[in-house]
Amino acid sequence: MNRSQQRTVRWSPFVLSIVALFGLMRAASSDEARLGVIRTPTDFTLTAQDDKSFRLSSLRGKVVLVSFVFTTCNGSCPATTHRMDLAARALAKAGLSEKVHLLSISLDPARDTPAVLRDYMRLYDIEAKRWTFVTGTQKEIDEVLADWGMWVRPAANGQLDHPSRVFLLDPRGRVREIYDLQYFRPSWVREDAQFLLKESDKR
Amino acid sequence: MTSKRFLAVLVVLGVSSTATFNAPAPGETCLSPFVKRIERPEKYLYVFCVDADAKDNDFLAVIDVDAASPKYGEILYQLDLGSKGNETHHFGFTDDRTHIWGCSLFSNRIFVIDVASDPARPKLVKAFDSAKDTGLSGPHSPYAIPGRMLISFLGGKDGGVPAGLAEFQNDGRFIRTLEMPKDAPYGYDVAIHPDLNRMITSSFTPPKNYRKPLAKMDLKQFGDKLLVWDFRSRKVLQTLTTAAAPLECRWSLKKDAKHGYCNCALADSIWIWEGDDEGKYTTRKLCDTGKLPVDLSQSPDGKYLFVSCFASDEVQQWDVSDLKNPKLVSTVKPGVEPNMLHLTGDGKRMYTTNSLLSTMDRSDDFWVRLIRVGPEGMKMDPKFKVDLTKFKTGPARGHDMLLY
Repeated sequence: MNRSQQRTVRWSPFVLSIVALFGLMRAASSDEARLGVIRTPTDFTLTAQDDKSFRLSSLRGKVVLVSFVFTTCNGSCPATTHRMDLAARALAKAGLSEKVHLLSISLDPARDTPAVLRDYMRLYDIEAKRWTFVTGTQKEIDEVLADWGMWVRPAANGQLDHPSRVFLLDPRGRVREIYDLQYFRPSWVREDAQFLLKESDKR
Repeated sequence: MTSKRFLAVLVVLGVSSTATFNAPAPGETCLSPFVKRIERPEKYLYVFCVDADAKDNDFLAVIDVDAASPKYGEILYQLDLGSKGNETHHFGFTDDRTHIWGCSLFSNRIFVIDVASDPARPKLVKAFDSAKDTGLSGPHSPYAIPGRMLISFLGGKDGGVPAGLAEFQNDGRFIRTLEMPKDAPYGYDVAIHPDLNRMITSSFTPPKNYRKPLAKMDLKQFGDKLLVWDFRSRKVLQTLTTAAAPLECRWSLKKDAKHGYCNCALADSIWIWEGDDEGKYTTRKLCDTGKLPVDLSQSPDGKYLFVSCFASDEVQQWDVSDLKNPKLVSTVKPGVEPNMLHLTGDGKRMYTTNSLLSTMDRSDDFWVRLIRVGPEGMKMDPKFKVDLTKFKTGPARGHDMLLY
C-alpha cells in the first residue's frame, strides 16, 4: 500500500461519514415537505362527556385526531364519526391506541350537553378511553372555531352548515394535516400518525 | 362500530347514503376536487377584471346569471380591489366555497374575497404581498386543499426561476414554500387527484419574461415539463416532457381514469399524461388544436374537452372517448381572442372571457359571452353578451371567472 492509498484508507471513515451526513440531510429535507406545520392552536378548556373539565394540552405527547360534529346532524357528521371510528380501528391494529387519541368538538353546544354526548357515544359504541367528546358555552365553542379556521351557520333545512374537515395534531399540539371527509382514508391517518410519532421519538 | 350498526345509526338519523358519503358533483371541472360544489343552477358570475389602461383600480365584477332574474346578464356590482396595475389573473375558491382567492401576476398581490356573507356584494377581506413570505413571484393558480390554499407561482424571488408552490391557511396566514427542482424550474398550473395521491404541475415562463411585450419575450425561457408529485408528501416523483408551454392541467373525470390533459400553448396542441398500474407516468400528444390554446375545460362525464384558441379566435370541442382517436366535434367563434372558459356543474353552459395578459392582448373589445353545450355540440347564446368596455373607468380586461 503506498502513501496515497494509506491516506485514502485513513480518510475513508471521515469521507464516508460526510457522505452519510449529506445522505441524512437529503432525507431530512425530503421529509420536511411531508406534513408541514400548519398552525399551533391555542390551548382551550371545554367540558367532556363525563362533565369533567378537559384541556387540549392534556393530550400533549400523543397524536390527536380532531373532528367537529353535532349530534343531531343528518348530513356529513355521521360519516365523519364513522370514518374516525375506522381510523381508530386502523390505529389499534397498528398497536397505536395508546399513542393516538380522538377528539370530537361539538358544533352545537346548546343542544349537545355532556349527557347528550354520552348518548351519542353509546349509539356509536365509542370507548371514552380512546375518544373524548367535548362541549362548552357558545362563546367557548365560537372561540375554538375561530382559532381552528372553522365556522358553523344555520342551513336552510334547519340543520347547521359547516366544513367537514378532520385535523391531525402532532405530539406537540401542532396541526400537521387537515383531511377532507371525502378523501379521508384510515390507512393514510395511520401512516401519518406513525410518521409524527417517529419524528417525535427522534427529538 | 360494525357496518350494520353504522347503517342502523344512519336510518335513525334519516341520512341517505348519498348524503352520507357526500360525493362532490363532478361539474365545474376546473375547480379543485376539494371545493364544495353548488347543487343548483348558478346565480352569480364573478369576473376578475384588470383596468385596461392600468390607470384605475382593478376590480371584481358580479354578473347576474340567474336565468329567472329580471337583471339576467347585467353587471350588478363592482368590488374595488383598492390598487391598480396588478394584472389580476386567476381565481380559486377555498374548500368551503366561502372565499375567493385572486392572484395578480404583476404586483404579486393576492386578494382574499368573502363571497358567502353576501354573494351579490362580495367583500375584500385581505390583500397581501405574496412575495414577502414565500420568496416567490408571479402567483398564478389558487387551488384549494383542505383548510388551506395551494398557490403555484411562476417565478422566484428575483422574477426568474426556479418557480415554486406555496401554502397558506384559508385566512391568508403563510404556511410554507416548495421550490421547483433545478432541472424543471418553471411553474404554472396545479391539479390534484386525491384518490391517486398524485399532483401535476405545469410550466410557463417567469415574470422577467412575461412582463415584456409579446414580441420581446424570449421563447427559450418557456418550460416544456410536467412534474408528477406524491401529493401527501409533496415530493416530486417524475419529470415528464411535453411540447412548449404546457398550461392548464385537468385530470380526466372518467371513472377509474389515471390520465389527464394539458394544453401546450406554444405548440398548438393538447397533450396527455397517462399512468400505469405501477404509478409511472408517460406523456404524448393527443391532438393538434387551433392557434395558441390557452384554456382547457372538460365535460362532467370526461367525454369532451373544450379548448379556447386565443390566436385563431375559436373554441373547440374534442370528443376524447377514444384516446387513440380524438375527434373535433364542434367549433364556435365567440369573438376575438377567446380565453378563459368556465363550464357549469351540469355541463350545459360555458362562460368565456377574452383577455389573456395585457402584454399579449391584441384587441380592446372585452366581453363575457356564453356558449351553450348540447347534444349537437356548442352554440353561442346570442342573448348573453356582457360588455366590459363601458365602465366609468373605461374598458376592463376580464380574465378568470367563478360561479356562485
